[in-house]
Amino acid sequence: MSAIIEVQDLSRSLPGTPPVTLVSDVSLSIQPATFVAIVGPSGCGKSSLLYLLGLLDRPTSGRVLFNGQDMNSLRGDARARIRLASFGFVFQFHFLLPEFTALENVMLPMRRLGKLPLAEIQAKAQALLEGMGLGEKSAKTPDRLSGGERQRVAIARAIANDPALVLGDEPTGNLDSQNSARVVEMFRNLAHDQGRAVVCVTHDPDVAAAADVQISMLDGRIKETSVRPR
Amino acid sequence: MTGQLRLLASVAARHLVGRRRQTVVAVSGVAVGVGFFLAVSAMMIGSQNDFIKTLIDAAPHIIISDELRSPPPQPGISHYKGAAVDLRHYKVRNEVRGLKGWPEILRAVDAVPGAIGSPSLSGAITLRSGGREEALTVVGVDPAIEEKVSTIQDQLRIGRLRDLESTQGGIIIGEEMARRLGLGVGDVVGATSASGKSRSLRIVGLFKRGQTQISSGLGYVLLREAQSLLGRPFIINRIGVRLADPYEAEPISRRLEARYAYKAESWQERSADFLSLLVTRNVIMYSVVSAILLVASFGIYTVVSNSVSDKRRDIAIMRSMGFSERDLQLIFVFEGLALALIGIVAGWLLGYGLMAILGSLKFPIAGEDQRLPLDRSARQYAIAAAASLISGVIAAWLPARKAARVDPVDILRGAV
Repeated sequence: MSAIIEVQDLSRSLPGTPPVTLVSDVSLSIQPATFVAIVGPSGCGKSSLLYLLGLLDRPTSGRVLFNGQDMNSLRGDARARIRLASFGFVFQFHFLLPEFTALENVMLPMRRLGKLPLAEIQAKAQALLEGMGLGEKSAKTPDRLSGGERQRVAIARAIANDPALVLGDEPTGNLDSQNSARVVEMFRNLAHDQGRAVVCVTHDPDVAAAADVQISMLDGRIKETSVRPR
Repeated sequence: MTGQLRLLASVAARHLVGRRRQTVVAVSGVAVGVGFFLAVSAMMIGSQNDFIKTLIDAAPHIIISDELRSPPPQPGISHYKGAAVDLRHYKVRNEVRGLKGWPEILRAVDAVPGAIGSPSLSGAITLRSGGREEALTVVGVDPAIEEKVSTIQDQLRIGRLRDLESTQGGIIIGEEMARRLGLGVGDVVGATSASGKSRSLRIVGLFKRGQTQISSGLGYVLLREAQSLLGRPFIINRIGVRLADPYEAEPISRRLEARYAYKAESWQERSADFLSLLVTRNVIMYSVVSAILLVASFGIYTVVSNSVSDKRRDIAIMRSMGFSERDLQLIFVFEGLALALIGIVAGWLLGYGLMAILGSLKFPIAGEDQRLPLDRSARQYAIAAAASLISGVIAAWLPARKAARVDPVDILRGAV
């Protein structure tokens, strides 16, 4: 199986005296239909690695390959286009746009992509929310949803454009155990049933335990990679 | 593409709705700016047009007089062109003053489309009545033509210019002059010219008092009456020209002068000092009014700038979602654009209302109720809109660049 995303000798440091190293010489490849958890103590560089994988940040050295294509040479708007069409982010804090309803939030990436007519976009967004068990709440604005509901809307939004890669940055960090379990289940489904690659940075042992691949990081480096047989 | 722009505009609209109070303040700023721009410029331009109209109408658009701007060259000098000749003590030939070949000049004037030339002869006479004497510049005109060229008819309190034709030896003088001489309409006054000719004239009309300087020292008679009284038969010394378009006066006067050498003075040349005053006035007006519009755009800057700082988190999430830097910049430029557009429309209404109020006011001037002259041309609306739009977009664009520069990683790191 060919990797969706692959990084080679990836390093990222912040300029300064001395420079602060966030990620150092990381190489890994991520396969489709795989749930990957990146774990490690705070400040070990796991979120920085996620931002590099998600093309939100540029490495100081090393390469990020998406479907075999080097992403470093691409300009900002081309990288934005790839994020739009192929990536989906879920953050610790739900990060929904407060002025838009749940439905409109899910519609945003599809409208930006502009591949479907508006009516289909709306129908698809509604279907996604129903899949999350939020069919009734699509007209509510984020401030009238619970934390778990917001995170599910965020997940629906993340997968709206059918991304090949879903990136989670502590997606359960702000949820109670019941909602956490639900999100973990959804992530597993995204990987195993829908064939997407899911990469999740987490502190949560339950999330890590549910993953197919567990990558432990320390001081910006990969300490250990363990693959759990399915 | 248009769908994308609509999406960005809808995000901008949501942002503005979310900060209603600031939006209202910024929009009111633009509206007040545009409204007062319209009201002030309507008054300034209106009064200026009114003033220029008065200037234009006060006298013929072009006056051809029997003066020469430079004395004609002496025959000796023009004969030996370029020679080292210096003629002195030559005898100057005495020429009869007046426009030579005036019928031809008049024909040339009348040949200009829409133009009418009125020949006249003026000279100094003395009016005498009951031991009182008053100096007067008498102007001989053809009433039928002069009526069309100047506004004299409007300045008459009593009588009509045409009455000169129906009364033998008729004269029209100013009310003031008549009072000084102790005379009224129908009375006879003695007139003596510099050449010694003397006759009796009957007053057939009076100018309004204090209307213009012509009222006190001028008197109108028939052209042939003036010619005979002044002892200058068949001679005229002035052609007043009225044009269909007064703004053509400058080139036409230059052409006439180039052809006939006589001084042809346009109304612009006569009023050059007034017109330069108007330029100064316009510079003052536009700088004050553009300052208002500029200050209004500060409101837009504040709203958009605040919006950018408040929405840094949303900017980061939209960037992560796949919106480009340009998308984010456009969203905030759209915010400014929307504020400017709403402000402009509101300002148009405000300006329209202000003009309606100003236009309804009556001011008693010289005993007559006068309304403010207002210029309500669409041009002013367009200028106000364009200026607000440009300053609004610039005011929004500056903070919008900041939105494009927001690094999503900084925000996400800070939030996690």
